Amino acid sequence: MIEFQNVSKWFGALQVLRDVNATVAKGTMTVLCGPSGSGKSTLIRTVNRLEPIQKGQITLSGRDIYAKDIDVNVLRSGIGFVFQQFNLFPHLSVVENVMLPLLRIRKQSRAQARPAAMQMLERVGLAEKANSLPADISGGQSQRVAIARSLILKPEVLVLDEPTSALDPEMVGEVLKLLRELSADGITMMCVTHEMGFAREVADRIWFLRNGTLTFDAEPTEFFSNDAHQDVRNFLSAVRKNH
Amino acid sequence: MLEIIQEYWLLLLIGEYPHGKLGGLAMTLIISFVSLIVTFPCAVLIALARTGKPGIIQSIAYGFVHNVRAIPLLMLIFWAYFAVPMIIGFPIDAAFTLIVAIVIYQTAYLGEIIAAGITGLPKGQREAAAALGLGYIPTMFRIILPQAIFNVIPGIVNQLTTIIKESSLGSIIAVSELSYVMLQVNSNEVTKPLQIFGILAAVYFVLCFALSQATNWLERRISSRRTGQVVVEAVA
Repeated sequence: MIEFQNVSKWFGALQVLRDVNATVAKGTMTVLCGPSGSGKSTLIRTVNRLEPIQKGQITLSGRDIYAKDIDVNVLRSGIGFVFQQFNLFPHLSVVENVMLPLLRIRKQSRAQARPAAMQMLERVGLAEKANSLPADISGGQSQRVAIARSLILKPEVLVLDEPTSALDPEMVGEVLKLLRELSADGITMMCVTHEMGFAREVADRIWFLRNGTLTFDAEPTEFFSNDAHQDVRNFLSAVRKNH
Repeated sequence: MLEIIQEYWLLLLIGEYPHGKLGGLAMTLIISFVSLIVTFPCAVLIALARTGKPGIIQSIAYGFVHNVRAIPLLMLIFWAYFAVPMIIGFPIDAAFTLIVAIVIYQTAYLGEIIAAGITGLPKGQREAAAALGLGYIPTMFRIILPQAIFNVIPGIVNQLTTIIKESSLGSIIAVSELSYVMLQVNSNEVTKPLQIFGILAAVYFVLCFALSQATNWLERRISSRRTGQVVVEAVA
């Protein structure tokens, strides 16, 4: 379980998160949406301390992630993180990208790590691309490799920052299909996305942020109903117009 | 010119070896490659310090780079040649002195090239490594440096050509490298300086031109590998 208590953050004089209070229950999927610059990405980046907060508290399974005895690298290895731009390591092959955390963090030998990485690549449907370089695979495939890499250490939480935003439309489907499967497996997920159809179908909770404030936190049925917050209805209306 | 080459080709290639000291082109190449090999790890450390967290180590690296780049190499060679034996109390080999001076000098330049390679990488590479839970050392040595150094290979090869040219300054402190040998030949053949220094220039040109061509080839290879495209060379 992840709990945000009065979380606030500033970039210089600009406040980008304002007293966020919310909870992500274990085994659920929370989708974050909202207009650009609303603080969605910043909020999920605070979960593994990629962005430090200046006020408030974030707890993961009851432990303050800023507690003095927390090793930030151990914390991060327990939280899978998927970036919008994939951020695969271009000098390593697909399988080496997935093996890397096992080799360097779990200190496994290559003989131990490779079968586990291959198994993970099979899970994301890319075993046949194991020896390809990231430059030689498509965007959708790159994102699936990035997801495989983020899952290889069996994290308790998977955080995804707009995992389909950098993809061509025809490749969005393959990534969303994988995320649906992961969601069905019961891994705790937080996902920033503009794919509202996906959010309606898969999310357990949807959070709406505006100007750094969490203005609405609801189940999908309520989120997409006429009872939703006016900001949400305006946002959904704008999203529909653009599609 | 041909008769000079015929008479002195062996001296030009290996100096007085095996009857005396190794010298000539062989010595120039040894000094250059040894200097580059020793410079490389020093430059990596300087680059890591320059691109690391602000603090005393970064300040020292900054001071080193900017001070060294503000003085001529010849000055550094004189200091190493005259001052160091006075300080340590015993003489040191001139070739060793030259290598040390070149290493110090080139560490500043090569360090900046590698630092540029590090800072030129997308921020996402470091973030991805951090998000996986990798610490500073595996992040730098497994993720950042392999990419940064790969991207600046042309710059590194270019520095090798600079080192080859800089090694000619060894003639000032009697290191028997190529230029020193040709100065000796000029002393013997008093009336043929144009031919002698023409040969010397040609040898340096061939060495450095070959390396710069290798650099161009490497640049094409790197860009084609990174973009996943085959580079088609224009056939004139």
